[in-house]
Amino acid sequence: MRIWLNALLSMLFTFLLITTAGAATDSATCLSCHGSMEGAVNVSKDKYEKSVHGSFDCVMCHVAPKGAQHQGMGGAAPDKAVKEFAAAIAPKGLKDTLAAAACVGCHPDKVEDYKGSIHGQNVIVKKSADGPVCTSCHGVPHYIEKRPSMASKVYRFNIVESCGKCHEEKHITEKYKFSPLVMERYKESFHGRKLKLGHAGAPSCANCHGSHAIVSAKDPKSPVSSVEAKKKTCGNAACHPGATEKFVAAITHQPLHPVAHFAEIALILLTVGVFMFIIIHVLLDIFADIRDRLFRKGGDHHE
Amino acid sequence: MNKNIPQEIQRFDLSARIQHIIMFTTFLILSFTGWGLKYAYAEPSSAWISIWGGPRVAGIIHRIAGIAMLLDFIYHQFYLLNLARKKDLRLTIIPMPKDLVDMIHQFMYYFGLRKERPYFGKFTYLQKFDYWAVYWGMFIIGTSGFFLAFPVTVSALFPTWTLAWAWDVLFIMHSDEALLAIVFILIIHFYNEHLRSEYFPMNWLWLTGKMPIEQFKHHHPAEYDHLYGKGSEKKK
Repeated sequence: MRIWLNALLSMLFTFLLITTAGAATDSATCLSCHGSMEGAVNVSKDKYEKSVHGSFDCVMCHVAPKGAQHQGMGGAAPDKAVKEFAAAIAPKGLKDTLAAAACVGCHPDKVEDYKGSIHGQNVIVKKSADGPVCTSCHGVPHYIEKRPSMASKVYRFNIVESCGKCHEEKHITEKYKFSPLVMERYKESFHGRKLKLGHAGAPSCANCHGSHAIVSAKDPKSPVSSVEAKKKTCGNAACHPGATEKFVAAITHQPLHPVAHFAEIALILLTVGVFMFIIIHVLLDIFADIRDRLFRKGGDHHE
Repeated sequence: MNKNIPQEIQRFDLSARIQHIIMFTTFLILSFTGWGLKYAYAEPSSAWISIWGGPRVAGIIHRIAGIAMLLDFIYHQFYLLNLARKKDLRLTIIPMPKDLVDMIHQFMYYFGLRKERPYFGKFTYLQKFDYWAVYWGMFIIGTSGFFLAFPVTVSALFPTWTLAWAWDVLFIMHSDEALLAIVFILIIHFYNEHLRSEYFPMNWLWLTGKMPIEQFKHHHPAEYDHLYGKGSEKKK
């Protein structure tokens, strides 16, 4: 009899839990399933809680999760700005566009910059899926970390890779007529190398080109649009004060000029030639030395 | 054997030895700090550069060492002028047609086509090559390095029509020729002055400036003859 009573009680209790779970909208509730699910719907509890948005309830962004399993779960109706932004970035074809647009709720100034940028214009005006939205650069929305952290996709030591995801991509560089070697040429430049080594002053992409409000280098608004603009950008007090017209020609991201290309080939041939000559010379000398020790004496001049 | 022949012969005076020490110290520092930047994407580079105080400090060390090397090189030119003024300068380091003959003889000796080593003078063709390689390096690496170290200031010297490639050429010159210099020193210089069985672990000449007379006779017979051998008596 007592067993039955216990069973009944625990069943009642479980029922109670399920009904409350149905109504609960805190992240713990969502993570109790999504924390252990496989694939794209998985959200790591640890990483989420460590992220800058870790204290948020999921439904703050995911206001209306789809499907019967989410019945009764959801957040407050999205405000006008979020709805408008969601409509604007719809061409990107994300799974939950409304959630992806939720950033505007707290970061309206950044979104405003983005809307005017070449990236924003590509998605919003050209209605293309090529252009990035917030998460394209900032990474998986659940794990966004503050910028001075190696986990941040837009930290200066990571941003080159983040930009490279598209700007190194062949179909993008061909379609938009970018310099195909833009990443390679940056990486082999003094800027790229010093950034790789952890130089505190080495610029990454965003330092010269801008970030949220980024525009084409051909656009007069770009900090690198013209020699005059470059003189100001490069001549920043912390970088190269007094930068001249001739100085700013140093960084272009364009493929090597033929003169430089052939100079490089000539110097490589010289290096390889000298290298081969001295290796052969040293080896012959060693063999002759061994031969002389075994079979001859000296090889000196005897007059 | 002539009684006037000394046990050892002075090859380099004190000034030359000090110039050499400054040259190789700065050369090593420049190689060590520059290598990390040249191969920035090879993994140990970040750790290697942090040993040198991080990229910013390593860059400053590299510039200071570069300027010290340039000054050493410039000092050497005055040293030569001074020797010339004292009529103490023999042009024994200038490459001559005989060096080509010596080189052919050397290779013939290697292949067993000649029984005797070349009749080398005060400096062998490899030593001359070694010496003039520094001038080549100073011209190519030194100038490009100076331009790269003070780009804003020095850029004023560039003609406008070179701008499309000048910077890339400077960078390539500096980086590729530095590699050539390092490889050259590592192979020829280390072999000739350190690894050869008769010198290992090193030819002490760099400290003493002197060479035992037998060694001298063996390696520089023409110079030996010039000083002590046939005809030298008559000259005196």
